Amino acid sequence: MTIASSTIPAPGPPRDATLPAPVERVLDNGLRVVAFSQRNLPLVAAQLVVGCGGAAEREDEAGLSALVAALLTQGTSARGATEISAASDALGARIIAASGYDASIVTCGATTPAFPQALALMDEIVRRPAFAPREVERVRTKSISDLALAYANPSALARGVAHRVAFGGAPYGHPLAGTAATLESLTRDRVAWFHERFYRPDDAVLVIGGDLETDDAFALAERVLGSWRAPDAPPGERPHGEVPPPRAQVVIVDKPDAGRTALLAGRVTIARRSPEYYAATVATAVLSGYSGRLNQEIRVKRGLSYGAGASLAARRQPGTFFATTLVDHARAAEATEVTLATIRSLADAPASDEDLVTRKATVTGSFFRAIETVDGIAGTLGEHVVYDVPLGEMQEYARRILEVDAESVRAFAASRLVPETFVVLVGDASRFAADVQRAHGAARIIDARRLDLGSPSLGG
Amino acid sequence: MTTVPTISASAIEVAPIRYADRTLSNGLRVLLVPDRRVPSVAINVAYRVGGKDDPPGRSGFAHLFEHLMFKGTSGTAPETMDRLTEDVGGFNNAFTSEDITNYYEIVPSNHLERLLWAEADRLASLTVNEANFATERDVVIGEYDQRILAEPYGMLDELVNREAYTVHPYRRGVIGSPAELNAASLDDVVAFHATYYRPDNAVLVVAGDLDLDETFAMVERWFGPIPTPSAPIPRVHAVEPPQTAERTCVFHAPNVPLAAVEEAYHIPEAAHPDAVALDVLETLLGSGRSSRLYTSLVYEQQVATSAYASADLREHPGLFGVRVTCAGGVDLATARAALAAELERVRAEPPGEDELARVRTQIASSVVRSRQTHGGVALELVRAATERGDPELVNGDLARYLAVTGEDVRRVANAYLRAENRTTVEYHPAVGSLRAAS
Repeated sequence: MTIASSTIPAPGPPRDATLPAPVERVLDNGLRVVAFSQRNLPLVAAQLVVGCGGAAEREDEAGLSALVAALLTQGTSARGATEISAASDALGARIIAASGYDASIVTCGATTPAFPQALALMDEIVRRPAFAPREVERVRTKSISDLALAYANPSALARGVAHRVAFGGAPYGHPLAGTAATLESLTRDRVAWFHERFYRPDDAVLVIGGDLETDDAFALAERVLGSWRAPDAPPGERPHGEVPPPRAQVVIVDKPDAGRTALLAGRVTIARRSPEYYAATVATAVLSGYSGRLNQEIRVKRGLSYGAGASLAARRQPGTFFATTLVDHARAAEATEVTLATIRSLADAPASDEDLVTRKATVTGSFFRAIETVDGIAGTLGEHVVYDVPLGEMQEYARRILEVDAESVRAFAASRLVPETFVVLVGDASRFAADVQRAHGAARIIDARRLDLGSPSLGG
Repeated sequence: MTTVPTISASAIEVAPIRYADRTLSNGLRVLLVPDRRVPSVAINVAYRVGGKDDPPGRSGFAHLFEHLMFKGTSGTAPETMDRLTEDVGGFNNAFTSEDITNYYEIVPSNHLERLLWAEADRLASLTVNEANFATERDVVIGEYDQRILAEPYGMLDELVNREAYTVHPYRRGVIGSPAELNAASLDDVVAFHATYYRPDNAVLVVAGDLDLDETFAMVERWFGPIPTPSAPIPRVHAVEPPQTAERTCVFHAPNVPLAAVEEAYHIPEAAHPDAVALDVLETLLGSGRSSRLYTSLVYEQQVATSAYASADLREHPGLFGVRVTCAGGVDLATARAALAAELERVRAEPPGEDELARVRTQIASSVVRSRQTHGGVALELVRAATERGDPELVNGDLARYLAVTGEDVRRVANAYLRAENRTTVEYHPAVGSLRAAS
């Protein structure tokens, strides 16, 4: 039997999510606590957001915040690395530490009866890390070998280069994971210094929620973290390099051993707090995803690549927009033109209603999936905290996305994505550099072997 | 002073999964789980057909067929599923195991009926032509090349199944062989769809933001008219005879950075009462950094870079696998001796209460975590309903895990982890590869 295609039912009206409302308090030691209650399953999640990450590092200490975060779970004054994992497993808990540009984050999740002890273990990791020399060496060695692996990938290398092109020596310019040279030079003392200076209750926020009442969450936070004291010295001035003005430039990294050429077109855009954020998110969605314009133009219409997409990283300070794809070396010049023209198309004419409806649905759909779990809700609130966004915006997220109109998407693209879009190409330059320069004038060509992401000017 | 934290897994209170269970007159079993917190739904359609049901001389066919289910129907274009899901903020995928083929979508709840329509459509009428059949077969063979041939240790699972089973079709694995995939024809596709893709061979599970009555009405509207063929569904009746002597296979492959070994022991089917104790044994030996194999082989003795255990419970009797990858400079015999000592220990004495408490807590915590998402709940029901024959088992599992005693663990270790019940596959770098040359 067959079912006629004309009988496909129309979608019903969309339903909204019921999200728990966050409540907040500040403990006497300055620690801000954000709590929510969602009691459908016996799980509690917490996220400690420390207000300093890679952006607080000096240029010559790139990778310091990442090294500190990686070492937190590798030993405390009371327990070694394996004892920490044994204690965590005994609680069925998950405790993970990582750093970003704007914050360092330690997450902790466990079932309801195990959670108080899991939070105490997280507190021990955050407040009393040992930074044993043996562990510092082990993590340093592993980080350096991870870097070598990561930069063998032309797409990862293109992102690193793009950060330098976009930000130069400003705080988001250097690689978060550091470079082999900076990692080699970091000492245990500097690790301990960063931790002592920046992991402090008066510059941290604890998000905690799930299967408990918010009052009980505050009481638990007070009991476990209430005795945490801030050091006398203030966190101090963070480095503030100047972000270079946007400039249409082409940077080519010649990497003849790359399988394909990584292409990235980008620009510094907006901060997360910007009123343009929701329009920016929809604009990015119009360009990305399988049905997004970039993939349609690059893969579906021209077969230039297996896929193409775009991402927006709005941060505490203006972050980046990147359009990315991976193409045959010989077609890199053509793909560059198509990518730039596709971005420009968004600035030239308003998107159709049909386009907007489906692309907005991808944004709200992934938001709803993210908040299915208590860790997801804690993480979403944590992002609001990191970027100084009012917490109430979480409840309004879907509505604000749906309210974005075609003109605000066009206006965002016309002022923030063009003009002065830069291009980074990482691949076998002999196959495309001449064509690219014919279209764009002189490009800067850097030999991959001499590329230095540790330098604002990229070395070479 | 450091205290080692503990909790009792029995303190973790998990509400049962409440689902409605109906079977349509054409035999389609429908399980619905309303949970209206988040406005999305997870739709799973599981067919009781997997690698073990591949037609003779067509190993890998069930998995190839899974790919063809995305190639359109008489009324829809290829990739319709992608458009109906990705373009509305959802996603879709499918997997083929030894026993089942499961198709799933996660979409905003207002799109539920469209996906039920599309799933009914591809059950009712699949249209595959020579061109997209040939293309998809190449994709699957490409997957074989990438996953089995190019990946280090890629052949290990295939070898374990092939050596451990002598008569049961589990010996062919799921991915099959390129030669037999190339032998498949469009006629095979039509016959396979007619034989296995029928309402009475499927379970439909929907979890999430749904209204029970409305959803049953939608299911009846689109799936109800699909007829059930009168022919019986062919089933695998092969019974693997008890193994009486250890079997060993030594394999050399390029691109193997370090020697590895898998020891596989025959165990009963997923619905067997020993299954829970085998799951506890798996976690005790090989899950997480505090497991016995990691602590002893990787951390303390440093003879291995990784060591895992896995109770691979299937619809028919499965395998308990223990896999160890040597540390650099350590020969396989040394690593295997360390492994043998750990297995002897678990056979000789029951684990202590502290250790058992940790394992129970790990298992209970992961069960609870997997229930956070509509997709996790739906998949748990799919597996219980198909591989174990009863969805209600999901609501007794936690109590069954908590009831497992140290003596139960010692007993199943003795019953199954025996030398004559073992198939060993050693995986070595090929002679002439980098390591051998240096």
